[in-house]
Amino acid sequence: MFNRILKIKDIQHLNDYYFVLCVDIGEPAREVKPGQFFELKRPDQLFPMLRKPISVYDIQGSMVFLMVKQVGKGTELLAQMQPGRDLDVLGPCGNSFPVNSGQKAVLVSGGIGYPPLFLLKQELGKADNSVYWLHGGRSRIDIFHADEIWTDDGSARHQGFVTEGLFKYLEHNQPDIIYACGPRQMLKTCHQVAIQYDIPLYVSLEEYMACGIGVCHGCAVKVKSDNGIGVTYKTVCKDGPVFNADEIIW
Amino acid sequence: MNRMLTKLGKLHLQNPVTVASGTFGPEYGEFFDLNRLGAYVTKTITLHPKIGNPPPRLYETEAGLLNSIGLQNPGVDGFISKDLPLLKEKLSIPIIVSFSGGTIEEFVNILQQLEKQDGIAAYEVNISCPNVEKEGIAFGVDALVVYELIRRLRPLTSKELIIKLTPNVTDIAGIARAAEDSEADALALINTLQGMAIDPLTGQSRIKMGICGYSGTGIKPLALANVFKVAKAVQLPIIGMGGICTWQDAMEFFYAGAGSIAVGTGNFINPRACMDVLEGLEKHLSYKEITLQDIIGKVSL
Repeated sequence: MFNRILKIKDIQHLNDYYFVLCVDIGEPAREVKPGQFFELKRPDQLFPMLRKPISVYDIQGSMVFLMVKQVGKGTELLAQMQPGRDLDVLGPCGNSFPVNSGQKAVLVSGGIGYPPLFLLKQELGKADNSVYWLHGGRSRIDIFHADEIWTDDGSARHQGFVTEGLFKYLEHNQPDIIYACGPRQMLKTCHQVAIQYDIPLYVSLEEYMACGIGVCHGCAVKVKSDNGIGVTYKTVCKDGPVFNADEIIW
Repeated sequence: MNRMLTKLGKLHLQNPVTVASGTFGPEYGEFFDLNRLGAYVTKTITLHPKIGNPPPRLYETEAGLLNSIGLQNPGVDGFISKDLPLLKEKLSIPIIVSFSGGTIEEFVNILQQLEKQDGIAAYEVNISCPNVEKEGIAFGVDALVVYELIRRLRPLTSKELIIKLTPNVTDIAGIARAAEDSEADALALINTLQGMAIDPLTGQSRIKMGICGYSGTGIKPLALANVFKVAKAVQLPIIGMGGICTWQDAMEFFYAGAGSIAVGTGNFINPRACMDVLEGLEKHLSYKEITLQDIIGKVSL
């Protein structure tokens, strides 16, 4: 893990809300795994002081691509960046998705839940897994390439929640594993569906973070403990962001 | 010569840079050599494990950070069996163990168990956490209770007892005097202020528990004023903290009367904040050809 000021190599605006930052992190890029994230902020701004956790979207050699959605002040400032400007980068943080081989995997993403699954899809492919990807969003602005697309407002492809798509898919297919990243409610529904079909589900969670390295316990998620009898909190930044969905108390 | 030497009662520190309880962990060893700190302060431990408060626990607000962790910790048994051996293995600097209790008996019980361990240099008695109902702050706001608590703890150890004070009182100097009268060795101040933030569009509290602790840059002037007040009221050494992010911030606390300082929220902003403070202080004192002891409490009005 490192904390360095790096030059932005490129910034690509996908639409008014989503953009992709590219930084050259050198040797550590080899070790970055799907599900991990970096904490980013602008070193030239006092506020916000805390870095924003951003998932790794793609890796090409030593280049790391980080896909961001503008949701507040921190991400708005990141969106105004230009190539050649300084970026404060801390990471890679967190754990990663388990990658098996020779399996049939389903990916389910909602909105900004898309990027970590993009990297995961590549790794799954390399390990000889077949992948079917369902992606959903509020409207077409939240939509990126996938096998099946859902929008709440019907502005692109199927109208409805992406979890409806998952349900229909499972009526006719028997995947070995499901991976999901997106809004909490979407993940919760994925878990209900996964239980019904008895398929293991791994989810990547998002939480407000301060340290990003497991010190402050700010990004708490409620999980089962003591073989399911007790309750405790784990950190999304260090214990996660990827969890077996059965572990979480939804 | 080492211009940075300082004392915390009987404890001699190689330098005055320590960390605020709850904002630091061995994880920061990824960013610098932890043994360069003046001392290491653990997260606060309680008698029984605490799972902490429900989320959301964090919110960055104007010039600071709101937190509502709720003293999440493995309890004294978990600390002794797991955390302490790890810290002892990694650290050659003094280890200060922070602890808190819901009753005087709990404080006594924890201290008795910790006294059986080796490798602990001093204790921080946390009587000032705003995020737990029973523990901590209920003790820190009443001078008589502070006096009674420390009188009970004092005979149990010959090690330093550092009392962590809350600013959420009308007369912090009165609390500090009670600590001095009951033979505490040092004071640490300030703990977080009470704070709150609300989403202006929905009315939803940003923090699940509503009222929480406010720390960071925004509290620095308040922390300094409290250190100044306490330094005038008592002879005890003070660990000053509250919004320290740079060596200049630290200098202000020394002038106000602190003999050492702690970096808290600053660690989250800059994982090397402690080292930046340390190196900045070394450079500055050397340039001015003075020692730390020359300036403690020497604010000019």
